[in-house]
Amino acid sequence: MINPDPGSFRDPSGRVFIQDDRVLRAIYEMGRDNFEAVQKAGVLDALIAKGLMVEAEAAEPGLADTLEPKPAHLLSHPLIPFISYPYEWTFSQLKAAAILHLELHLEALRSNFTLCDATAYNVQFRGTEPVFIDHLSVVPYEEGEIWAGHRQFCMQFLNPLLLWAKRGVVPNSWYRGSVEGIAPEDLAAVLGWRDKLSFTVLAHVVTQAKAHKHALKTETKEKIVKAHKLPKRSLVAMLEGLKSYISGLELPGGRSVWSDYAGDNSYNAEKRAEKHDFVAAMAGSVQPDMMFDIGCNSGDFTQTALEAGAKSVVAFDFDYGALERCYSRFSQSKLSVLPLWLDAANPSPAQGWANSERASLGDRGKIDAMVALAVIHHIAIGRNVPLDMAVDWLIGLAPQGVIEFPNKDDVMVRKLLASRKDIFPDYTEEAFLQHVGARAEIVEQKKLGEDGRLIVQYRRS
Amino acid sequence: MGISERHIAAFAVLTIFGAAPAFAYLDPATGSIIIQAVIGAVAGGLLYAKLFMHKVRSFFGRKTGDVASDNTEN
Repeated sequence: MINPDPGSFRDPSGRVFIQDDRVLRAIYEMGRDNFEAVQKAGVLDALIAKGLMVEAEAAEPGLADTLEPKPAHLLSHPLIPFISYPYEWTFSQLKAAAILHLELHLEALRSNFTLCDATAYNVQFRGTEPVFIDHLSVVPYEEGEIWAGHRQFCMQFLNPLLLWAKRGVVPNSWYRGSVEGIAPEDLAAVLGWRDKLSFTVLAHVVTQAKAHKHALKTETKEKIVKAHKLPKRSLVAMLEGLKSYISGLELPGGRSVWSDYAGDNSYNAEKRAEKHDFVAAMAGSVQPDMMFDIGCNSGDFTQTALEAGAKSVVAFDFDYGALERCYSRFSQSKLSVLPLWLDAANPSPAQGWANSERASLGDRGKIDAMVALAVIHHIAIGRNVPLDMAVDWLIGLAPQGVIEFPNKDDVMVRKLLASRKDIFPDYTEEAFLQHVGARAEIVEQKKLGEDGRLIVQYRRS
Repeated sequence: MGISERHIAAFAVLTIFGAAPAFAYLDPATGSIIIQAVIGAVAGGLLYAKLFMHKVRSFFGRKTGDVASDNTEN
């Protein structure tokens, strides 16, 4: 007996199950007619062939009988390597996801099908490539029907992007808190009048906010809502308009903010080469299917790990600029790297319905290895996490990996301590090695250069 | 297109004067439904105008950018 994924309950026409290295999608009686119409028209195949939607095939006969209730159809999909959420994405990732969603909708409309919702959680990333994962969102289109997912699209895609682009405010903390995105009423209240001088903002944010508030005040009869018709050409124009508008959105400062990165760090070339060798040795011996790079910066060591044998990497950083560079770099090279935002002292929690709809960071599948370079001092000194607890968390992420330890003589640590009292007598190399040794075998340790940082490779038993 | 003068008047009134906050329960998408016909019609008009301008420019042999972009206003 396999249990349904706790995030797949919202649409009663189906549920999703994780089985080993694949995803099974049960389609129940309620969704049968729509699904069969979609199948018959070949829409899913067309969307999959265009790379917009994750692959699907009928599961082997007989498997459906083992499920309770028994589904009318059962699909099998390849597993997404690592599930991520829109509140962990960079601006460019959310923008790419929004454009994918609109392209998929427009493509479906060409065959006279539409999308019954517009949730950003239906978009996932394989490396840097967004892909749509909910096959039951595609339903037959009826001429004149309104865009059911309009408000959801605005809340989960357009509004966070606008807040980022127009106000320079990262929406992710807000997004993570609300889970459902940013309401037009809220966004309209924080946009300036100049931001509103655009048809897209005026229509989708300002007017929608006003209409929403107006409808709350007055009694909206069901028949009035039902009487609203939206001709197909208007829907297409709306989607095309949003697509072109969102394609043109940029972060304040434009592309130049991310493109002129020149490796600013306290390391000389020789020490960096030694560090690359150390990471390559670990990745080469472990050959991880999935690796975490905690504090990836623009992805230099992610690149090294991939070249040495890591198959796929989730690259985390606290700095959105670094993540943008990382996303841009691996988008170009098409390597399997998913950059995600992480505050190591406050990783994404389990949340949503019953605190299980959206999984916590630590509960999204098996991680084979990790590297944490130039990170531990930010946790232990920057955030006052006792060193043993910081080591415990890092080693808990993956059974094998590499941790770098800059001691108090290190220029970056001195910077952290410059403006505060040193209340960290236990932040020493000896204590670090002892904490690692208590939790795992130290496979190798090394000093990078004569007076440089300590780096260790560990293996949990 | 199913848009009456009443719709356009409502759009104008809502845009210009706004409404005070209210917190009663309601299907959360009602506001979106009410305005879609108008947004759709305007978006359709804009798209048509841009395609038209594109054709005009092509006729006179001028290079044009993205046909459907409405970012020129930003």
